[in-house]
Amino acid sequence: MLKQDNASLAPKKAMFNGAMPAASPLRAPDGYWRLGDRDGTGLSLLIEKRSVGVNMLLAVALLLASVAYLSLGTTALDPRAVIQALAGQGDMMTVFMVQELRLPRLVAGCLTGGAFALAGILMQTLARNRLATPGIIGIDNGATAFAVASVVGMGVSLAPSAMALTGAVTAAVLTFGLATGSGTQGYRFIIAGIGVGAVFGAVTQLMLARVGIDTANAAYPWTVGSLNARSGGSVQLLGIGLAVGFVLAFGLARSLTILRFSEATARGLGVSVNARRFQILMLSVVLTALAVAVAGPVGMVGLIGPEIARALSTPRHVPVLAATLSGALVMVLADLLGRTMMAPIELPVGIITAIVGGPWLLWILMRPQRSRP
Amino acid sequence: MKALTLTRRVDTRTLIVSLLTALVAVSVVSLLIGAGSVSPSRVVAMLLGADDADARFVVWELRAPRTLIGLAVGMALGVSGALLQAVTRNPLAEPGLLGVSAGAAFAVALALVLGASAATLRIPVAQMGALAGCLCVLGVARWRGVGNDPVRLVLAGAAFSALLGALTSLILFFDQRSADEIRFWVIGSLAGRRLDDLLAVLPTIVVSGVLIALLARPLAALALGERMASGLGHHPRLIRALIILCVALLVGAATAIAGPIAFVGLVVPFVARAFVGPDIRRTLWVSLPTGPLIVLVADIVSRVVVAPSELPLGVLTALFGAPVLVAVVRARRLPML
Amino acid sequence: MKEVYNPPTLATKALGMSYGPRRVIHGLDVELPTGKVTAIVGPNGCGKSTLLAGLARLHKPDDGTVLLDGADIQNLPSRKLATQLALLPQEAVAPEGLTVTELIRFGRQPHQGWLRQWSAEDQRVVQHALGAAGLKNLAERPIDALSGGQRQRAWIAMTIAQQTPLLLLDEPTSALDLGHQIEVFELVRHLACDHGRTVVMVLHDLASACRYADHIIAMCDGQIVDQGAPEDVVTPALVRKLYQVECTLLTDPDTGSPLLANVRRAAPEPA
Repeated sequence: MLKQDNASLAPKKAMFNGAMPAASPLRAPDGYWRLGDRDGTGLSLLIEKRSVGVNMLLAVALLLASVAYLSLGTTALDPRAVIQALAGQGDMMTVFMVQELRLPRLVAGCLTGGAFALAGILMQTLARNRLATPGIIGIDNGATAFAVASVVGMGVSLAPSAMALTGAVTAAVLTFGLATGSGTQGYRFIIAGIGVGAVFGAVTQLMLARVGIDTANAAYPWTVGSLNARSGGSVQLLGIGLAVGFVLAFGLARSLTILRFSEATARGLGVSVNARRFQILMLSVVLTALAVAVAGPVGMVGLIGPEIARALSTPRHVPVLAATLSGALVMVLADLLGRTMMAPIELPVGIITAIVGGPWLLWILMRPQRSRP
Repeated sequence: MKALTLTRRVDTRTLIVSLLTALVAVSVVSLLIGAGSVSPSRVVAMLLGADDADARFVVWELRAPRTLIGLAVGMALGVSGALLQAVTRNPLAEPGLLGVSAGAAFAVALALVLGASAATLRIPVAQMGALAGCLCVLGVARWRGVGNDPVRLVLAGAAFSALLGALTSLILFFDQRSADEIRFWVIGSLAGRRLDDLLAVLPTIVVSGVLIALLARPLAALALGERMASGLGHHPRLIRALIILCVALLVGAATAIAGPIAFVGLVVPFVARAFVGPDIRRTLWVSLPTGPLIVLVADIVSRVVVAPSELPLGVLTALFGAPVLVAVVRARRLPML
Repeated sequence: MKEVYNPPTLATKALGMSYGPRRVIHGLDVELPTGKVTAIVGPNGCGKSTLLAGLARLHKPDDGTVLLDGADIQNLPSRKLATQLALLPQEAVAPEGLTVTELIRFGRQPHQGWLRQWSAEDQRVVQHALGAAGLKNLAERPIDALSGGQRQRAWIAMTIAQQTPLLLLDEPTSALDLGHQIEVFELVRHLACDHGRTVVMVLHDLASACRYADHIIAMCDGQIVDQGAPEDVVTPALVRKLYQVECTLLTDPDTGSPLLANVRRAAPEPA
């Protein structure tokens, strides 16, 4: 007997309406603007209204924070004078202080904050876990250990950026290698990363213990994270890296959105999961390394930036741009605080972000859990 | 647990005897070898009656106290690791990882800033800090079932430690005087510690030793679960509170002498369980010699490896402790203790 | 207008697969009837989910091939495969806060591109999927706020929006109560009967398989024990072989499908 013929098995037509709806005029889905031709067969772009608002808000906040950053310090400057000085006008001293002292540091802060946060949100999406940021899974520490090696061990012959990159890749390979079998999902992978990070932290200490006190002092800001010890070359490299990395991340945005689902779902929707994961991982590792080469391990920004971005955005997509902007904002504010809070003593930015980020991390761990992290 | 257990369990008594023998041997080596210019042969000659003032000073004033301190610190950390793991029923629980040591270090830094002198107040303050750290961690563990997942508890501990570490650095940053006073202490090490400190903590170590001896049997029952333990006529809450107190006293004492040293409390019970299985009483007995053995070996290595300077002990324990951490999480199934 | 598919054939040839270090399936040849509902049944660990994972290209086979219209699916581009074959994994989890329509829109992803993100066709298909799964009234609800059955229908709606002629479901009704199970099964039958899709489900429950599948593949120890229409395949002997239980087999007076009654533990076989 064929099931199709059986009256009792026929689905209730009222409930499951099998008919294709007639074609209706094309409207953008709720919450989006659409750019493109009438029926969307050619070019058809969707722009989420909310994310436009969020990104503009963050950009304005970053701008204001930057002006404050340039104005405040051991010598407070009038914001109007600062803006004039940026254009090269006003008295020599102000122009020098703004353009030569504070602006490069501000740029370095924006770039590192953006890079850490972008790397963070990429890694979190990859591992489907909010705690899986490069700072927590040991990649920062790996990059730092190698960068410190280049400072204390081999003189200054090797560029810190290249060494940091080597270290970051080594740490990533170790963490992911050790976590095979337990998978990249879940907490065990993170503990493996903490272990790897602890080893590299110890290696850094070991190298600092071997050298003279002066070299050790020179390398110290590196171990806590500070914008003090940056070198011009590594900032430029980071600038290029962040620009390229951001474009690549934007290209990956659609895959990122789907990778938030389980691996099986993502494959079912036609994402080449392994290839995409590898690209995302590499991007995240490179961004982290370049940022560490400038500022040392300020990894907490990689946790806080994405958190802010997600809190502001809708769950429809992975807020890549918003995370980058938030990261830059957090970094600029944290360094501003570090420079001014106990002036003339300058607190390393890494300590400020750790004090802000620690409780945040605890809150994430303690908040009520869904069925899965 | 199977994967981590040696196929044939060693007889506990034989094991302890061999561990003690090894410990004696290592202690002797610890007297013979060091960063100073006094070579092992000179030490042996001095011990055999040769008149060598340098050697006598180095051995009896520097290396002997250091060895004794290593023994005490190792015992305290190893046993408190085993206890903490039993109480939280979590094979990853470790005073260093869970923020207990960081709590002690932070408390000492805070006390210094508030005007205490390092010498007088360090020990009780460190013990209070360790207790506060313990209570925080256990509070977190009880909160919404975080403690049911061993790995999440460790993450919370790591976050807590990082936070306290940052706060400690903050304090050191804006108070240069205390920074100089405790900078060498904040990095865990056995170098340059004084025997007076050891004498000062001896009473608390003895008290906790007695408490632990009394509590070992009910603690073993607690491994069967709270209800089962109550059913057997024990008081789980009281036992747990007293054990926590012991852990705080021991970790506080060890940290006060040597500074924060991570991973010893993880490695020692891990090794002990591999030899004698999960029973807490046997684990404790085996931990007692294993802790000092590991600390002393690490300390000897730290003197030799970058001679003439020395490596902080905490660096070495992290170097071999972190792989153990990874090994524990890599085990197919985390053993529930 | 009603959409009717003409599904490609899906078959395996000498398929061998492992789950972790354990070899689960060896030398399996199976052809899935097109346009029908097929249920794969068997005891725990018999390899039924592994087989489904192989059919959906979630796991790479150790040897042998999975053939889609005669071509090895390993050679198909991911996106091409996603327009032919949709999959609903066992524990599908959506990002927090997503609404039903937003979830369904993800089903259009294989048909879209970076520069073509939303077309009239997309809009039409999403509306259709909402109607087909009976979710019109719940369109703007967050997934987290739905009942188990509604949530599962939303996931199925996402696969409907994928517009694939083939649909693979891994235990779509596990953890659902009876009412919700019926909701899901009736939707699945509707997709096969009224639109001509090939549906393959892994099922735990032999009774549901008898009632809702046209074709049953019974597996044990990575081998196919028997396959065919439920009336022909399900016998007391098969039930004993799969689950080590005895039962009395009745025929449902309304539908004609087999019914299991008086299920009890089988006497241990003489040595």
